Amino acid sequence: MIRPHDSIIVQSLGRFLIPVTQMFGLYVLFFGQYGPGGGFVGGVILGTSMIFSVLAFGHDASRSQLAKKVLHGDGVGMLIYAGVGGLCMIGGGEFLNFADFEIPGLETASRRSLGIVLTQLGVAVDVAVTAVSIVFSLSAEEIIEDSLNG
Amino acid sequence: MNEHLPAVLFLLPLFAAIAMPVVCLKHREWSRPISLTVLSAMVVVSVLNLNSVIRYGEVRYAFSGWAPPLGIEWVADGLASVVLVALSVLGLLALVFAGPTAPRDLGGRVVHFYVLILLLIAALTGIAFAGDLFNLFVFLEVAAIASYGLVGVAGGKALFAAFRYLLLGTLGASLYLLGVSYFYAASGTLNMADMAEQLPHLLTSKAVVGGLLFMFIGLGIKMALVPFHVWLPDAYTHAPESISPILAALVTKVALLGWIRIIYWVLGAKVIIYDIPVLLLVGVLGTLAAVIGAVLALMARNIKTMFAYGGISHIGIILIGVTQGNKTGFAGGVFYLLNDAVMQGALFFLAGALVFQYGVRTVQDLGQIGKRVPWLTGALIVIALGMVGLPPTGGFFGKWYIILGALEAHNYVAVAAVLLSTLLTLAYFVKLFEAMFRQRPPRSDILQSELPLSCKLSLGVTTASIVMLGLFSDPIVQWILNQALPPTL
Repeated sequence: MIRPHDSIIVQSLGRFLIPVTQMFGLYVLFFGQYGPGGGFVGGVILGTSMIFSVLAFGHDASRSQLAKKVLHGDGVGMLIYAGVGGLCMIGGGEFLNFADFEIPGLETASRRSLGIVLTQLGVAVDVAVTAVSIVFSLSAEEIIEDSLNG
Repeated sequence: MNEHLPAVLFLLPLFAAIAMPVVCLKHREWSRPISLTVLSAMVVVSVLNLNSVIRYGEVRYAFSGWAPPLGIEWVADGLASVVLVALSVLGLLALVFAGPTAPRDLGGRVVHFYVLILLLIAALTGIAFAGDLFNLFVFLEVAAIASYGLVGVAGGKALFAAFRYLLLGTLGASLYLLGVSYFYAASGTLNMADMAEQLPHLLTSKAVVGGLLFMFIGLGIKMALVPFHVWLPDAYTHAPESISPILAALVTKVALLGWIRIIYWVLGAKVIIYDIPVLLLVGVLGTLAAVIGAVLALMARNIKTMFAYGGISHIGIILIGVTQGNKTGFAGGVFYLLNDAVMQGALFFLAGALVFQYGVRTVQDLGQIGKRVPWLTGALIVIALGMVGLPPTGGFFGKWYIILGALEAHNYVAVAAVLLSTLLTLAYFVKLFEAMFRQRPPRSDILQSELPLSCKLSLGVTTASIVMLGLFSDPIVQWILNQALPPTL
């Protein structure tokens, strides 16, 4: 269990900073198509914001379903990634060749754009979840044990 | 469709592994059926892939459609495809075996146990198929991290062995990565085929020489070549019974396959650096490993330790085969690699069944079993024939071609080393049989406990394949000579 931080400065700053960090993370994630950024960096920033919220406001595992579910989230990210790759293969191209991303009614350019965004989204979910789960496993072993046994 | 098979073969276990915690969130018991299904699918796909490679030649698969050398390439040639068939079949058998013998106190971690097994198999597939040096490193690391977790899963002494494995394995991976970066600095590419074109002009570069040395030491640690083998016996002895077969059969062999790739496909067989033929250097180490491993096996008291040292000595024999620099030796080495994977699997299935079912760990205790368990006695006899190398087992034909290759290269020291290691192998199996058949009152509980069906299945199939590989050795070796040889040989 991680207790809330007892400093009002940390908590007030957290209220302000966490949404900003998350916005910035999403911006980096989606900006990755056009410039520097992308799934990994965006995922790290999103993960950082979640770690901050856990450290500032505490996290009682017995009450929070999120703590139990979040540790399994990397499977969700991977399924998005594999789904995009698989649809590309069904379309006749190589794995992750977005030109053959099999979504009917889309131009090739839109397919490439949509494909890269979805893949990066999958990567971001994985990275963010991994960052959070590292913090959980370092700080409170019983959360993991609970989530595995319950 | 055929050209997608190598990618599918790798993606199946990878995605199954990472998606498993979500899929099995509510139903922990699904993890085993899912893993078994994935591995069975891998067996089918790997056979289809081998078939397509035999018929239409090698497949080069560029992920995302980015053409190499910029993109990431999968090379499914004859060698990789045939190793992949062995890998998926042995992986499936090891998974069948792992069910009832898995550590009993796993609890909620049982999902993670299967996740790690699938990750290990995905990573080994990646090592076999990787077309560039950096991805080889990535998959070496994934395989190693999965193995550390699997070795330590039971806790206790295994944790200590796993930690030592972790330290040495990380050292090996770092050295390999350092070597790759030197090669990259010298040649400006990571793709194996591209680098093979660049390297002949760069052989006097100190970066290439240093990089080669680092890469060789790094991979030597991974494949437990003799001066770097200290992590292996402890890790295999203390690993859970369900895990040591998969580690012994596959991990070191696939690292050796990576080395064969680099030395033949990247450097070229006849490469001479500063007047030193690289093949000869590796061959000397192989000769040492073949003898020293067998001597250490003879001295071991624990059965699993003995088999682990036997595996180290066989890595040496394979290296002797592939470093003779002629086709016969290479084909013999590759054939022996397949055989050794099967034999090591069978040996550790046997040792695992002994520990799991009867609590027999040391050679001394083997007398308690006696002749009461025909499955184990029969399997041990067949495996011993294979390990020593008597016809009609595959071990005989592998050693035969290796010796023929060494004679062709006039390398009589290597011939002597193979023969000496054969004699020592005979000696440690005699020690086992002597303990087994010595007349002593067997324990009374031996008669009541019957082996689980899955143990019989995995032990039976691997033992039968030792003989089958021998019976079909001629077509297999001919096929290796025709389709799996490196272009530079």
